[in-house]
Amino acid sequence: MDLGTRKILDKSFTAVGITSILLMAVALLVVIVPIFSGGIGAIFFKGTIEHRKLQYEEFGNGDREVIQRQIEESDIYRNKVFAMLGEFETELESMTPAESRKLRSSYKKARKVLSHLLGPLPGDQEPILLRYRYGTTRWEQAEEALHDLLYVTKWDYSDPTRMAKQYFVPRMEEFKGTSLAVFFPFMEENLANMMLPEQTFYWGFITERSLDAHIFGGIWAEIQGTFFLAVGAMLFAFPLGVIAAIYFTEYAKDNLFTSILRSANSTLAGVPSIVFGLFGLAFFINTVKVSESKSVLAGSLTLAIMILPTIIRASEEAILAVPKAYKEASMSLGSTKWRTIVTVILPAALPGIITGGIISLGRAAGETAPIIFTAAVSVGATIGIADVFSSPTPALSWNIYNLASEHEAANEIRHVQYGMVLALISIVLLLNLSAILLRARISKKLKG
Amino acid sequence: MAEAPLNSSKKPDAFVMTPEKLRRQRIAKFLGEGFLLVVASFVAIVVLFIFYFVAIDAIPFFQQRGFGEFFTSTSWYPADEPGEFGALAIIYGSGMVTIGSALIAVPLGIAAAICLSDVLPFAVRQYAKPVIEMLAAIPSVAYGFFALVIFAPLLQNYGGPLLMWTWWLIAGPFVFLAVIVVSDLVTSGGEDTDARKTIRWIVTVVFGMIALLFLYYVGKTLNAIQILSGTNALNVSLILSFMALPTIVSVSEDSLQAVGRELREGSYALGATRAETIVKTVLPAASSGILAAVILGIMRAIGETMVVWMASGNSSHIPEPWFNYLDSIRTLTATIAGDMGEADQVTGSARYHVLFAMGLLLLIISFVSNFVSERIVVRQRKILAGE
Amino acid sequence: MQITAEKKESTTSVATESSKREIFLPPDRERVREGGTPHVSAKNFSIFYGNFEAVKKVNADILSKYVTAIIGPSGCGKSTFLRGINRMNDLIPSCYTTGTLMCDGEDIYGRYTDEVQLRKKIGMVFQKPNPFPKSIFDNIAYGPRLHGVKDKKTLEELVEKSLRKAALWDEVKDRLERNALGLSGGQQQRLCVARTLAVDPDILLLDEPTSALDPKATAKIEDLIEELRGSYTILIVTHNMQQASRVSDYTMFYYEGDLIEYAPTKQLFTNPKDQVTEDYITGRFS
Repeated sequence: MDLGTRKILDKSFTAVGITSILLMAVALLVVIVPIFSGGIGAIFFKGTIEHRKLQYEEFGNGDREVIQRQIEESDIYRNKVFAMLGEFETELESMTPAESRKLRSSYKKARKVLSHLLGPLPGDQEPILLRYRYGTTRWEQAEEALHDLLYVTKWDYSDPTRMAKQYFVPRMEEFKGTSLAVFFPFMEENLANMMLPEQTFYWGFITERSLDAHIFGGIWAEIQGTFFLAVGAMLFAFPLGVIAAIYFTEYAKDNLFTSILRSANSTLAGVPSIVFGLFGLAFFINTVKVSESKSVLAGSLTLAIMILPTIIRASEEAILAVPKAYKEASMSLGSTKWRTIVTVILPAALPGIITGGIISLGRAAGETAPIIFTAAVSVGATIGIADVFSSPTPALSWNIYNLASEHEAANEIRHVQYGMVLALISIVLLLNLSAILLRARISKKLKG
Repeated sequence: MAEAPLNSSKKPDAFVMTPEKLRRQRIAKFLGEGFLLVVASFVAIVVLFIFYFVAIDAIPFFQQRGFGEFFTSTSWYPADEPGEFGALAIIYGSGMVTIGSALIAVPLGIAAAICLSDVLPFAVRQYAKPVIEMLAAIPSVAYGFFALVIFAPLLQNYGGPLLMWTWWLIAGPFVFLAVIVVSDLVTSGGEDTDARKTIRWIVTVVFGMIALLFLYYVGKTLNAIQILSGTNALNVSLILSFMALPTIVSVSEDSLQAVGRELREGSYALGATRAETIVKTVLPAASSGILAAVILGIMRAIGETMVVWMASGNSSHIPEPWFNYLDSIRTLTATIAGDMGEADQVTGSARYHVLFAMGLLLLIISFVSNFVSERIVVRQRKILAGE
Repeated sequence: MQITAEKKESTTSVATESSKREIFLPPDRERVREGGTPHVSAKNFSIFYGNFEAVKKVNADILSKYVTAIIGPSGCGKSTFLRGINRMNDLIPSCYTTGTLMCDGEDIYGRYTDEVQLRKKIGMVFQKPNPFPKSIFDNIAYGPRLHGVKDKKTLEELVEKSLRKAALWDEVKDRLERNALGLSGGQQQRLCVARTLAVDPDILLLDEPTSALDPKATAKIEDLIEELRGSYTILIVTHNMQQASRVSDYTMFYYEGDLIEYAPTKQLFTNPKDQVTEDYITGRFS
């Protein structure tokens, strides 16, 4: 081959390598950035008067007088709207049934959208579900609801080879010539006056319980559940893992039995996470019966088994990295092997062991599959520390799945889902970041 | 000798013990090491327990229904009365996303590993490593959420253009590289004259035009594709490849590092370029380690639950045609996760046990591939150590 | 490790074959200094790593309260022999010994030997300074604490005494709580000596204690050995023949696992009996 061609190939080879690294970085950004920007929106957003009303009535947050005054302010415009509705209803009464049939059904639809926007309208029954007692709490949702109110969504199926196309028809046309015609432009103009949007910093998203299956409120129950599960798993796995690592590094002889134990460890590391869930269900719940059904305890035990190999491996590496000189010095001073391990080797290996522990903690917090059958429930109250032996708990990882895939209003609570994912990723990445920093410090220390 | 203490009149600094003390010391040592051994054996016991408890709940299914239906039928109607439990389509779906993710992650991962071990300077490498660690650390449910809520709509709405741009960006450079190499090979041999150079230019331009046309028509075809559902095998394969990448990169890199400097320097000294050194010398020496890395990475993809459950579409059929990655599929892991909720109510029925049968299948696959990769790594270590 | 009677006989027969390499009670010890009694005595003492005999059937008496230097080219078994005395080689799984090694009439490799007590009695300082990553105080107090000293006051006294003996007290008395790894290399090594002295050993084994130090720090360690002479039995392995001649009363020369010559230092360096010794000390190989 030509030297020039060889050089081009060499350059392209390098370029491919660098591109692949860059692609990984881009992949990371592509995943993380939308989740961050979406997740921030759960805490920092334009909240409407409905949000403040809800906060005051359900959690007792906010200044009563301010909220009262704002409600009155928005009621000025709302009452005008209600007056229009009332006028239109009397107009409907005066029509003949034939005339009004079509208008009635159109009006019913419009009224439903309006009540979603503003909350219960005069003349409606007091709704049972909390989600119907308040209008839209977020400004961007209010704008969407306004759009739904102003336009009817239609689908165009004319071209059978392509997918159906969406298009919008102004709702006003259905009410042409009636008194309600003025209502639509009025709504469009005065939405802000009715909803009073304000930049809101909703810290309660993290610290408050959820209301009506996450339609409103925060995610504290999930955060707490994740905390219980992960810490519980560590309580079981960490001591076991460190002791096993001590055995492998300091006591195990180089024989068949040891190599079987070692390959058992890597086998366990390779078991698919969902199989851990099956095992947890079949063993901890159905056989040993650590609890009646799902519980934090059963979930923690299952997670503990899952993270055990990681902890053992990290601890082994940390112990092996301790300079042999420490051990020699201690032994030469007349220390027994065990005391040498406890007083010299473990303290020196501790940062490394803790690094492995932190990463495992992050993994336990983020895993979903093992807890589906053993610990997680979709909707649940915050549980107390005493309940961990018997009650299941909501957890961030499981509820992200549940809200995104199975919730009946999954599309309306995207902000909650984003917020949960952000919370989970922040927890896991912060843990990993601290592990990375800790490790950098160790390697600096070892270099002197 | 020295069966008994030598000096009965003990000095304060004597180091010879009484038999009594020796016995006590030995008992303490035995108990201590026994305790450590028991704890260390815990992992092995757990592995045995996992196999036992998954198998014991899987066996009733095979007793009731035999093996034939499970492995050969594609009718999956576990809720019917009587139910049908043909898992072939589900096994096929698992295989499909695994192969799909491997096709993306393996070349990318090996290229990245080579880049980390041989190309990037140390300072840059230090920043690249945390990126890989972060990719590995992101919980699977977050990936699943991304696939379902962000990526699936994107794929559904802009599927064709997305495919086309990806085609241009990835295939374009490689096709042009091929043009250069092929025209070089076609015109090589003989002396280097001006006439030859001109011929080479003409050949390159002709090939280049052909390649451009090829790229354009494939791109146009891709652009016209309509993706009916964003939750499909392609989506899942892509996301799973993100998750398999960190494993492939770090294990391959270890393996590349294990190939010593001497080998590389020997190749450079013979006038090879870096690419030639790596492809012809380093990669063959590290090949078994890289194979192990690939197996470990694939295992992550096959065992992953949340992403496939959320973003694969969960429809248990073999796509039409069989390689149609734009179709929805269903995998073993997602079936276990999704069906247990209902099956759990009637513990004891075939519907419950079939999920354990799937778990057992996954367990066996992971055990075998783990075993194989471990053997490979051990063998490579021995070869490199010159045994 | 024990050895059987047959083994012992067979070793003696081999030893007579190479009779040149097996004497070694140093002659005319009075000429060096008064009052030498054997402290450690080796009889047909061998150390093996697997099949490799690193120290070959050594017979020698190491005299109480003297400084004995062990010299020889690298890999000659001098360090192995030294580490055999307080059984540090036990940390290497494939290592075992034959023959006997006695200390004060007790068998170091006997069945009833308590390694912990043995190492308390026979202290060791290593090639590279190896203080623990703890404070200076805790480094010194580590040994005494191991052996049951708990009282704070006693510990403080012990620490001061040991540091004074190691000529380090004045340099570190104000920063006993600081991490020992912050000290200079020479200070670290003297700290290691102090740490060893704190458990009150009879014998000090120094395994090339100055090989990782600069000349200034080396001089301080040598001064320290001078200070300790007469209070402890000291064995020092060294690469540096000037050092051996400066600090030691007796010198052992090892070559390929054999103890070639063992004599008063002055005699060994001025009038070696063995050709190999002469070649080595005159620098014909190293």
